[in-house]
Amino acid sequence: MTTRRKILLGSAAAVAAGAAGLGGRVALRNRDPVGPPPIDAEGRALWSNWSGIAHSYPARRAAPADEAELARLLPDTPVPIRPVGAGHSFNAIVPTEGTLLSLDRLSGIVASDDKAMTATVGAGTKLSALGPTLAEIGQEMINLPDIDKQTLGGALATGTHGTGKGVPALHGRVTGMRIVAPDGTVIECNRDQRPEVFDAARVGLGAFGVVSQVTLHNWPLSRVKKVVRVVDTDTLLDQWPALAEQHRNAEFLVLPFTGKSALVTHDVTDEPVLPRGPDVDTDALMELKTLRDLFEFTPALRRRFAAHFLDGAPPEIAVDEGWKLLANARPVRFKEMEYHLPIEQQVAALREIIARIEREAKDVFFPIEARIVAPDDAWLSPFNGRESGSIAVHAYYKEANDWMFDLVEPVLREASGRPHWGKLHSLAAPDLKALYPMFAEAMAVRRSLDPQGRLLNPFLSRLFADG
Amino acid sequence: MALALAACGAAEAPPKPLTEAQSAALTPADLRLAALYERSCKACHTVTDAQAPLTGDRTQWDPRWAKGEDVLLASAIGGINGMPAGGQCFECSPADLKALIRFMAGRGQ
Repeated sequence: MTTRRKILLGSAAAVAAGAAGLGGRVALRNRDPVGPPPIDAEGRALWSNWSGIAHSYPARRAAPADEAELARLLPDTPVPIRPVGAGHSFNAIVPTEGTLLSLDRLSGIVASDDKAMTATVGAGTKLSALGPTLAEIGQEMINLPDIDKQTLGGALATGTHGTGKGVPALHGRVTGMRIVAPDGTVIECNRDQRPEVFDAARVGLGAFGVVSQVTLHNWPLSRVKKVVRVVDTDTLLDQWPALAEQHRNAEFLVLPFTGKSALVTHDVTDEPVLPRGPDVDTDALMELKTLRDLFEFTPALRRRFAAHFLDGAPPEIAVDEGWKLLANARPVRFKEMEYHLPIEQQVAALREIIARIEREAKDVFFPIEARIVAPDDAWLSPFNGRESGSIAVHAYYKEANDWMFDLVEPVLREASGRPHWGKLHSLAAPDLKALYPMFAEAMAVRRSLDPQGRLLNPFLSRLFADG
Repeated sequence: MALALAACGAAEAPPKPLTEAQSAALTPADLRLAALYERSCKACHTVTDAQAPLTGDRTQWDPRWAKGEDVLLASAIGGINGMPAGGQCFECSPADLKALIRFMAGRGQ
């Protein structure tokens, strides 16, 4: 299949490049963006997020070995103090000229309870490491995000989620946390002990204190069957509510300008292990880019060529433990905007976004991702009090993403969407107050824990200024 | 023994590709560097799907090494292709990153 696709695209590329001087345009667009210098005039090393949008030169980088060292450090270190996970947030939640705080050394399982199916985990644990570690004690997280590079603390702080009818985001399965406040006080919180801190800081953007440990309520380790199949987008959108009911985890990726989508499902199974093969998503993505490069200004031809390599593609199937299948390596860097909508608004908003992109943003080639998330009661959870349908749009890290704000965000806001805390959006405190019923209460807790605003950088000040 | 042979001027055997398992089995001898490597680099540099050069695989590293250590350090700090700035090691100093690059490139520490 891949060979046939490459021959098709290769032939088309040769014709188009010769006819239209396309090669120059593609080469121009493929240049790496010029980044800031690796070391600044004062000798401080660059920090940048994964997508390359946000950066800073921290005066101090700290990686405490344990919670006690963290507590000693916080009252007396340059501000703003910003905890950093894996740098996978797309906005400026992390940049600091003060202290960049890595929790990488606070990682691994601290305690577990087989009967209650809980595990207490260091907040700096990477999700990619957490899967196998939990598997060793017979536990797993039923829900993982698309990428597993993030730290647990960073993922929780930003409301990171996976997908599935009745399946909550990662923070929805947290039963307790330990937080070190900026004055060095260690707070243990759960539904009975300091419940206001638990509710306010469970999705806390690293603005309430530094989370050192988290207790997760997990599931027994199980085997799942992952199926990825190409389907017609129109049909899929009609069937989506029923499909979401039928599968434990379901999501889809609309492939713009093709009329097709990739439906991804995971279901518990007893079938024998069939390991996932080599990553083919990256190849497919680059083929979509090639299609865009060749036929950006001729959408009809772009659609016809897409049909050549998408129609009849066999489904990709894998059977294994969930932590091996739910998340992906995603080596191609991108920029992302994602909003969480009341579930009943998701399909209509998605249809409008597809129409706008295909009409007005012909250079878009990244898939549009749609997921479903169960409600929870964390005060700053984007899923607070409502089942949500998520819509995410992406741009290659080398390319412009203004269209997200101009074309897509108005649709998402009109549908009462709440932005993902770790992704691109234009909202500020007044907007957020209107979207979160407990916003004022959360801000009161935040001020009580960090009265001097030692954890606030300019981006967080924008979000919380009037809170 | 390998060092002694090299010192005697014997021709170096051409590098061979490593498997993921062979790459994953390599660890820096220095304990602090090993911890940094384990936390920050290993997840991507021992997995083919991540499209990062495999640790210790000279067939992948030698062309990169030829660019010079300073170029590789600048790439590590600023990020390159799928790798984020700092290579996931936000506590690493430039000297740490240099040592990690040397190890992963199969040049000892």
